[in-house]
Amino acid sequence: MKNMMLLAASVMTGCLCVQAQDKLTLDGSTTVGPIAKAFAEYHMRQNPGTTITVSESGSGNGAKALLNGTCDIATLSRDLKETERKAMKEKGITPVQHVVAFDALPLMVHPSNKVKGLTVAQVRDIFTGKIKNWKDVGGSDLAIVLVSRDTNSGTYESFKDLVLAKDDRISEGAEYVGSNGAIRQRVQVTKGAIGYAGLGFVDRSVKALEINGIVPCVETVRSKTYPLARPLFMFTNGEPKAESLSARFLGLALTDKGQEIIEEIGFIPVEVKKTEKK
Amino acid sequence: MTMWKRKLLDRLFSGSAYGAIAVMAFFLVIVIGPIFLKGIGAYLFEGTIDYRRMMLNQFNRGDEQALDVEWAEVKQERKIIYDALFAFEKELDNMSSSRRRELKPAFKQTKEAVAILLGPEPGTPLPALPRRLYGQTRWERAELKAKDVLFEESWDYSGAQGKKVMTPRAPLFKGTALEPLFSKIEKDLESLMRPERTFYPQFLTDKSIDAHFFGGIGPEVMGTIYLALGAMLIAVPLGVIAAIYFQEYAKEGFVFSLLRSCVNTLAGVPSVVFGLFGLAFFINTLRVSPGKSVVAGALTLALLVLPTVIRAAEEAIASVPRTYKEAALSLGAGKWRTILTVILPAALPGILTGIVISMGRAAGETAPIIFTAAVSVGPMVLPSEIFTTSTPALSWNLYNICTEHEAVDEIRHVQYGMALTLVMIVLALNTLAIVLRAKVSRKLKG
Repeated sequence: MKNMMLLAASVMTGCLCVQAQDKLTLDGSTTVGPIAKAFAEYHMRQNPGTTITVSESGSGNGAKALLNGTCDIATLSRDLKETERKAMKEKGITPVQHVVAFDALPLMVHPSNKVKGLTVAQVRDIFTGKIKNWKDVGGSDLAIVLVSRDTNSGTYESFKDLVLAKDDRISEGAEYVGSNGAIRQRVQVTKGAIGYAGLGFVDRSVKALEINGIVPCVETVRSKTYPLARPLFMFTNGEPKAESLSARFLGLALTDKGQEIIEEIGFIPVEVKKTEKK
Repeated sequence: MTMWKRKLLDRLFSGSAYGAIAVMAFFLVIVIGPIFLKGIGAYLFEGTIDYRRMMLNQFNRGDEQALDVEWAEVKQERKIIYDALFAFEKELDNMSSSRRRELKPAFKQTKEAVAILLGPEPGTPLPALPRRLYGQTRWERAELKAKDVLFEESWDYSGAQGKKVMTPRAPLFKGTALEPLFSKIEKDLESLMRPERTFYPQFLTDKSIDAHFFGGIGPEVMGTIYLALGAMLIAVPLGVIAAIYFQEYAKEGFVFSLLRSCVNTLAGVPSVVFGLFGLAFFINTLRVSPGKSVVAGALTLALLVLPTVIRAAEEAIASVPRTYKEAALSLGAGKWRTILTVILPAALPGILTGIVISMGRAAGETAPIIFTAAVSVGPMVLPSEIFTTSTPALSWNLYNICTEHEAVDEIRHVQYGMALTLVMIVLALNTLAIVLRAKVSRKLKG
């Protein structure tokens, strides 16, 4: 009987180990979400038997999940903060950064809005509450409704870094929503709204403003002329072992197929130098 | 008080009661009505030829030969479109530069709109994402996307407020090789898309393809079932035992009222607190699983429904007539035996109702599983994986594809289909509760 139980236990742990090998858990940013989801489905299709799960709970939660060891890959639309790095160091976790794609932060308004573009300074004044009406920036007489991401969001942090000055705070009247998709939905139904999200979330139902006269699109991010651009990250605990599932998953971003997926979703793939290419 | 005053008050009271019921029925109709009407569209709709091609490629379903024949015919129809595009591209090269500058952006937009409507042009390299591999799979979407080919949407900012202007593209391209494309799409959309009444019951069990663009909601339904069943497996024994303790063993006093108020407080805790507690306690402290998992979610949901189960079981036990117990004891049965063989069976209908209704609650809750079990994309979970793997679930994924998804407007039918399925599951559970209750009490009486 005892032997049987030992056997059963060893079989069970054996199963768990096998499962752990072809299982991958991703958690984090809602901006990186579409890339992670498409990669996961592509990878699972290519390698039947692997299980990849993707959660979109925000960059902050992604970092926390990596810290607590509850995910294999954390997806972030910003870099890790000092406090997060410190906490990870204390727990013996060495975050390794992988850039998977580039993204612009388009400012979206309702398509009926007359304003064609803004300068970064105007965007700052709008979000800090100094400019409260569209007529002050060349639009019609309409109160500005600020729509921002929640503070857990990497997009929020990138926006703060790229647009606001160090001590600036987003105006108290701003609405905070939990995802990029929610920003677009809020903007497409609100005439006076302005919000920011990832480039992959812009569609015809909203208008992306020119910033300093530059349209946010693939070309302007590539040429680094659009001022509000940022990389999108995936973080692992330690460099993933060669040929491990994590390594193969992250490697997708550099393959032709992976880059096509990123482009089709609406983001900008990482440039692969010809010599690096396998 | 005079008679007429009393009558008036009486009328007023019953009138307002009827009014309240009418308001409730009205809201029920405007909430459930659209869910039902639009949700049914996920199962029953007009599927185009691209839908049938997608089904054959992705799920290996359908009659391949018949489809081949049909596809050849449709290709012939679509050839007119592609020929027009090809011919115009050539024509564009020989145009005066001012004319070219005028037409080129509009042509690019048209070409893109055609690719969205009909799928990638034959002969061009295939896109990487399945969502771009096919044309519109649903007729109502195809009609909508055909408008994008035929009209240019622009905004007129001359007035106080911007106004949407839909300009037909055809006049712009009059006299060019592209002209036949517009009349073809306008008049012959049906033969280009071949809509057919389609019944897709597998929506309930299929996995989703490319983040819910195609396919069904199988993993979500499965996840919801796992979570609800798992929660009940944990909550029911605990809840019934607690109820027996409260009703039969506990003595009135400080400890008793403390425990009582604890249960009552538990019932009033917001569900998101349970979610955070589940993450902090089950996953980060007890480490029941390496990360989010079905088990962690089920444990959290079990805590959430525990007070309801205790309450229902307690009330059921309390309503068992005192005489039953006295009779059993007088016949020499011990206390434990009395509870097990007399009181519990008599209380069973009430307990069962409580269980089934809590199960509906567990199936519908979102907040407790965000941090403990739910993911936006994941395969169907096998029973052997519940300790290690997180799962999609209807409640959470409904929220996810309604707000966070990158193409919310493209997958409305999936959202409504998911809502309908969830409502139907809860409705089915509640009906089951009524039926079970009736059956068991009839049996007990008989």
